[in-house]
Amino acid sequence: MTAGYVEVLERVSAIGGVQGAMLVSASDGLVVAESLMEGVDGRAVAALAAGLAGRLRRTTESAGLGTPRMVQLRAERGTVLALPTASDLLVVVVARPDANLGLARLEMSDVARRIR
Amino acid sequence: MRALEPWMAPPLETFLDDSSARLALLMTSAGQVVAQHGFTRSLDVMGAAALGAGIVASTTEVARLMGSPAFGALVHQGTRQGMFLSGFDTSRGRWIALVVFGPETSVGLVQLFFERLVRDLAAAAPAELPRGPVLAEDFERELNASLHALFGR
Amino acid sequence: MTELNIADVIRALTAELATDPSSLVFLELGELLRRRRQLDAALKVAMAGTARYPDLADARDLCARIHSDAGDGESAFDAWMEALRLDPTHLGAHKGLGFLYFRSGDHRRALRHLEIAVTRTDEPGLHAAIARVRAEMERAPAAPVAAPPAAAEARVPFVLDASSSVDAPAPDPEVFHGLGASQQGLLLLDTNGMRLGGGLRNRDNVDVSDAAAAHMAGVSREAARAARLLELGAWLSVTAECLDGNLHLSAPSADSVLLAVRDASIPAARLALLAERAGDAARRWLERPA
Repeated sequence: MTAGYVEVLERVSAIGGVQGAMLVSASDGLVVAESLMEGVDGRAVAALAAGLAGRLRRTTESAGLGTPRMVQLRAERGTVLALPTASDLLVVVVARPDANLGLARLEMSDVARRIR
Repeated sequence: MRALEPWMAPPLETFLDDSSARLALLMTSAGQVVAQHGFTRSLDVMGAAALGAGIVASTTEVARLMGSPAFGALVHQGTRQGMFLSGFDTSRGRWIALVVFGPETSVGLVQLFFERLVRDLAAAAPAELPRGPVLAEDFERELNASLHALFGR
Repeated sequence: MTELNIADVIRALTAELATDPSSLVFLELGELLRRRRQLDAALKVAMAGTARYPDLADARDLCARIHSDAGDGESAFDAWMEALRLDPTHLGAHKGLGFLYFRSGDHRRALRHLEIAVTRTDEPGLHAAIARVRAEMERAPAAPVAAPPAAAEARVPFVLDASSSVDAPAPDPEVFHGLGASQQGLLLLDTNGMRLGGGLRNRDNVDVSDAAAAHMAGVSREAARAARLLELGAWLSVTAECLDGNLHLSAPSADSVLLAVRDASIPAARLALLAERAGDAARRWLERPA
C-alpha cells in the first residue's frame, strides 16, 4: 500500500521547485509515505507540519471558521503546504520559494482524492 | 525541572519547552533517577523509574529472543496521554528517558526533540571523573542526596 | 444524612485520604466540605486531587463549584472550561457554565449549555432553568452583552465575524492609516499575545480581540519554530483556508504579528495582498517616533 502512496507522491515531488512530498499522520506527526529530495529531513517536516496544522485547526475551529482545507507556511527560504485528507492523514509538501505552488496544490488535492 | 547535575538542566529545559511534554524522567538503565520534571512525589518518581527500566529491560530481552537488535523507542498511546520510552547512550553509560505527553503535542514532535536532547546532553556532559567503588552505606546516602536534589527538600 | 452523620462521613473520608492520598474519595470529601461551606478546606482537598489527577474532569468540576460558591466567577469559569476540554459532554460543566453565562446576561450561551446538559439528564430543575432563560430572551431581544468572565484566552472560543462590512466603523484608523474599509478583520499584536491595534468582533458584536491575540501568538510561535528547525529562515506568513473563511498571519516586524481574517468569498491570495498592505501600514505606525 505504501508503494502505491509513494507513486502518487512522486508526481508531486516532480513539480519544479518541490523538494519533497509526504503523507503524514496528522495526530502523531509520523511519516506514512514520502518522496523526498536529498537533504530534506522528512521526520522533522512531518512532526512540525502536523504540529502547525493541528494548532491551526484548533484555532480556526475556535474562531468559527471550521477545519482548514489547506495550510501554508511561507518562510524566507521555502514554503510548507499541508492539506488534511478525509482520513487522519496530511499531504505535506516542502517547496523552494520559486516553486509553482498552484500546480503543487492541484496535485496535492489529487493525492488526497486517491487515498480516500 | 530538577537535575542531579547542573549541566543536564539546559538541554532538558529546551526539550521540555520544544516538545511540550508533561512529564519527563531521565534515569540510568538500573533505574537510578538523574533528572525529572512534572512529578510531585518522590514515590511516583521511584515507581516510574523502576517500571520504565523494567519495561526497557524486558523488551530488550524480547528483541534478543527474536534475534533482533534492541528496540530504539517504545510508544504507548492512551486516549488522553501517550508515553515515550527510549534508551540512549551517554558518556556515563546507557540511560533511559521516559516522557509523558498530551494532545497538545505529538509523538512525532517528542521523538524529534528527543533526538536533539540526546545530542545536546552529549555535548554538555563534562569529562568523566574517576569514580571509586560504591559502598552500601554510600549508596543509601547517594540515594537520599538524589531525592533531595530532585525535590528540593 | 444528618449533620452528625455528615461529620462522621467527613472524618472517615479524611482518614481514608490520609492513608491513601491517591484515592478518589477526595471528590466526595471535597463536595461534602463544600456543602458545609468549609470552602477553604474543600478547595485544598480539590486542588490536591486535581494535581494528582489533572485529566479528571470531575476534579475540575469540583474546583469550579467551590470557586463559584466562594464568589470567584473567573476561576469557576476557567475550571469548567477545562472540564469541558477534558470531557466535552460533562454535565456539571455545562450546568455550571449555563449558570455563569445566565448571571452575566449572555442568555444565548447560557441556553446552549443548558440544552446540552438536558440531553444528559432529566432533572426538573434544568427544564425550569431553560424555561427561565427562554423567558428572559423573549423579554429582552438580542443586544450586545457583557463578555463572560475572563478566562485563559487560548481556551475561549472567539467565533469571529469574518464578513467585511463597508458600513462598520474603522477599528483603528491610527494603526491602519489609509486602508479605509479594508481595516475590517485586522488585528495587530505583539509576540506575547497582547493587542497593539485593530480589533475583531464576533457574530454577537462582542470584542474578541484579546482571545484572538492569545491564540495567534501561539500560532506564530509554532510557525517560527517550524521555519527555524526546518532551516527555512524566518517565517513570513501562515495561511489557513477554511470553508467559512480564510485566516492569514504575518510578521510586520520582529516583535509584532498581524492577523487578517475574511470570509471565504475573499481568496487566500487576495487576503495575503490585503495583509501585505496592512503590514506596511502597521510597520509605519510601529516605527514612528514616540
